[in-house]
Parts: sequence; C-alpha cells; structure tokens
Amino acid sequence: MSIAAASQTPPLRGVIRSFGFAGLALIAVIVGLSDVIARAPVGAAGVGPALAAPSAEFFFGTDLLGRDMLSETLHALAITLVQSGFAVLITLAAGGFFGFIAARLPWRSGFVLRWIAGILGAVPALLLAILFIAITDRNFAAAAAGLAAAPLAFARTFDRAREMARSRHAEFARATGIQGATLLRRDLAYEIRDTFLTIAARALAAVTFILSTVSFLGFGAVPPHRDLGLMIAAARATYLDAWWTAAVPGAALILLILFARLAAALDEGERP
Amino acid sequence: MWRFGLRQGAQLALGLAGAILLAAMVAAADDARAGAGAFLHALLAHLGSFLHLDFGTSTISGESALAELSARLPVTLELAGLGGIVALLIGAPLGILLGTERPLRAGAPLIQIVAAIPVFCVGLALMWLAANVLHWPEHGASQFARILQTLALPALTVGAAGAAIVQLSLRRAAAEAMDEPYRRGLRLMGLSAFDINTVFLVPQILAGLLRSLGEITLALFSAAAVAEWLFGWPGAAVLFLKSVALHDWNVAALVLLVFAAIKMIADFAGIVGARALSIQEPRA
Repeated sequence: MSIAAASQTPPLRGVIRSFGFAGLALIAVIVGLSDVIARAPVGAAGVGPALAAPSAEFFFGTDLLGRDMLSETLHALAITLVQSGFAVLITLAAGGFFGFIAARLPWRSGFVLRWIAGILGAVPALLLAILFIAITDRNFAAAAAGLAAAPLAFARTFDRAREMARSRHAEFARATGIQGATLLRRDLAYEIRDTFLTIAARALAAVTFILSTVSFLGFGAVPPHRDLGLMIAAARATYLDAWWTAAVPGAALILLILFARLAAALDEGERP
Repeated sequence: MWRFGLRQGAQLALGLAGAILLAAMVAAADDARAGAGAFLHALLAHLGSFLHLDFGTSTISGESALAELSARLPVTLELAGLGGIVALLIGAPLGILLGTERPLRAGAPLIQIVAAIPVFCVGLALMWLAANVLHWPEHGASQFARILQTLALPALTVGAAGAAIVQLSLRRAAAEAMDEPYRRGLRLMGLSAFDINTVFLVPQILAGLLRSLGEITLALFSAAAVAEWLFGWPGAAVLFLKSVALHDWNVAALVLLVFAAIKMIADFAGIVGARALSIQEPRA
C-alpha cells in the first residue's frame, strides 16, 4: 500500500479506490459492448470523409482513411485492455505470487532471486519489455510487458513477505510448532485477500504504460489489430492538423491508466 | 557511517556484477537458439571479454560497441540532464508547497491526472502546442532562440516524467518533517522558524529527495528513450531500440549495462548522501 494511502483518511482512500474500480468496471463494460456501441467494424475505411472534424454525425471525427474514430478507439481499447489483462496475470504470477513464495524459500535462496529482481529493476521496464519482444516475437508483447513489470512487483512483495515472516505472529506460530508450509498458506491467503486487487490495479497501470509505449515505438501490436499505442503512433502524420486523431485514443488511454492508478490508491506521481 | 557506506558499496558491487551478467546474457542471446551448451559457452566468453572491457563489435556498423555507445551516450546524458533540471524546477516547488501548505493538497488530484499521461502523449501534446499555439519554429528567430526551441520540447517531455517523482519525494519528506515534534520544542526554546527550517528541515527534505535519486534517474532515462525517438535525438536509447530491432546484441547489451550501472550508482550516491545529511550535526 502506498504512503498516500496511509496518509489519507480511510474513508477518502476508500472513496478514491472505489472510484477507480468503478471507472475500470465501466471501461470493461464499454469494451464488452464495443461491437454493439461501435458503428463500424474494426478497420472499416471510408465510413465518412477523411479527417472529418468531430460533429453530430461523427462524435469523435474520422481519420485519414475515413474510419470512425469512436469505433476505432473502442476496438483499440478492447485490444489494449485484453492484452493488459493478460500482462497483469503474468506480473501477478511472476512478480506477486513468486515474490511471496521466494521470501520463504530455504537457505536464503530467495535473496538470490531478490538480487536478480533488483538488477532487472535497474533497467527501465520499457527497454526490458522491448528486449523480451526482440528475443521472442512481437506476438508476445503482452507477456513481455508483464515480465518487464514483474521485477518491481517481485521486489515489493518479497520485502513485504519478509517483514510478515519476521512478524510477532509468525514467531509465535513457529514457537507453538506450526509448520512453515502452514504458516505460508495462511499468510498467502491473507495476502491475496488484503492486497490482491491493489496489486492487480497497480500492475494494470504499469503494464498499460509499457504496452502502449511499446506499440507506439513500433515493437508491439501489429496492424490490423491496433491497440491504443499503435493508433496514436499512426496519428502522428495527421494530428498537428487534425488533433482528434491522436486526442481521442490518447484520452481513452489516459483514462484507463488513471482509473487503474486510483484503484491502486497510488500516491500522486508514484511509480505504478 | 563508514560501515553503512561499505555495506552500500558492497551492494553496489553485487548489483554491477549482476548487470554485467545480464549484459553477457543479452550478448549471447543469438547462441541460445543453438542450445543450452552453446549459450553457456558464449555467455562465459562474453563475461571474459567484458571483464577485459571488450564489448565486441556492432554487427550492423562493424564498429566497436564501445565506440558506438561513446558517440551516442553524451546525447542521452544531455537530455536526461536537461530533463533533470526541468524536473527540479517544476517538481521541487510543487512538492514543498504541497507538503507544507495543507490547503494546497486540494490541487494534488491534478498531479494524479498528469501522472497518468504516458511520456509519448506528453511529447505529442507539446509538439502540437509548439506548432499550433507557439508557431515554432519561428521564422526569423535568432540562432539562440532556435536552439532553445529545439531543446525545450525534449527537455520538457523528459522533465515532466522526472517532476512527478521529484515532487512526490519532496512532498513526502516535507510532510514528514513538518510533523516532527522537535519543531515545536525548538520553537519553545526560542529558535525562529527560519532557523529551524534552514538548519533542521532543509537537510531532512534534501535527504528525502536524495533517497529517491535512483528512482528519478530511472524515470529520466525511461522518458529519454521515448523523447529521443519522438524528437529524433541520436542518443543511446535510440541506439538500443535500433540494436534490438536488428538483433545487434553486443550494442544492446552494452547500452543495458550502462543504463543499469547509472541507475545503481545513482541509487548508491543517493542513499549514502541522504544518510550523510541525516546524521550531519546541525550548525551551532
């Protein structure tokens, strides 16, 4: 949990987190209904005139190929969210869950893993994701983003789990003969109950950042499956004259990250 | 303090050793396809070369990887440095004001929104503003103004990323320092608020900023990677992007190693500096 969360009054913190989760739920509903809401299928060109400004007919205008910006943004948001969701699962498994287990490994072997996480964490996550993609394939962009965000999640969870393992309740449990595996299961259950949603929201903010930037730089999504980062990259040629081509997908991306940040109760300016 | 410094130094040495291992693994990436044995052999060969400061040659240009990086790294350092200055100019007053002036906390949610904007969106927005509002590049502008215009957008893009962390670390440190009970005690002893703030508060806040030096460096270098690509600066981050795209692993490995080393050294310097500040005896 962030320091902001600690410094804010519990009711306000709760309201902020609820607002964040409500926003994410709303985005999920919109994405679920994207095929119904969108007036045009994915990549349908010539729906309207090229670069038409926002109007009553086209709420968010059209792009260079006459594609409806609202429809394209909805489809791209769906791809971004699905890919980010997959990346979050990898971050949670490789970072959160594994970090927790590593803290209880025998013979201090967990510290070797913590050391590796520290080294990977010293490299910008964006460059790490691009490296993973280059070593594997662009189709693994989501997995690469998840793995790139994992070292930080691992380090945080490991440190928290170490503290938990040294806590008074753990000492008491060991003194009364409770086995390490039982204690681990019990602590893991509490960890999942208390922090799973927060860690998942935090990971969502981080991987969405990474995935969209990777796509923007041309290492991620491949056309015609455009995500928001690739949509913004494609708008570079036109957005100086037609601002909506970049602003609409940009706003969708910012909202997604903002709601994830709020759901994770991140402090203002805190790294996800 | 010496013991603390030595422990941190040992941690830094361990971290650097790990970064060298990581770089050697990247350099041996192509050999992984030939099997575990070939990869291990290549890994050991690269490790040996790295220890002799031989980082191999670029498969694209044929130049040594070190020479390639030496030509590009100053650009990245310049960009990160300029971004750092912008980050301090924006983040420092913001952090201290938000940390010390409670009513201003109402403006903090705005930072939450700014922090949710990816770096490339910031860069694109600045480019749009420069073209459509400021009408840059201006015709007939002086050479100095043109240089300033060229530097301003990348520096602001990188600085915006750093400013978020600078304000956060200063705000946390300032809020913590303001709540310290010793301030009230010193006031009762007759010290003025100015004396208390300059002798006790400022070092405490500075120590808070120094503790985040590694995080700030990482944010600046991450943002520099995007800004270099966006604004066409021929820096080390763009060199990395091109290298990995073309599987020029020697160069990619060296860039990773240098970036990781810079972050680790910044972390070390920050933690030791913060410790030195926090144990410093106040002036009489």
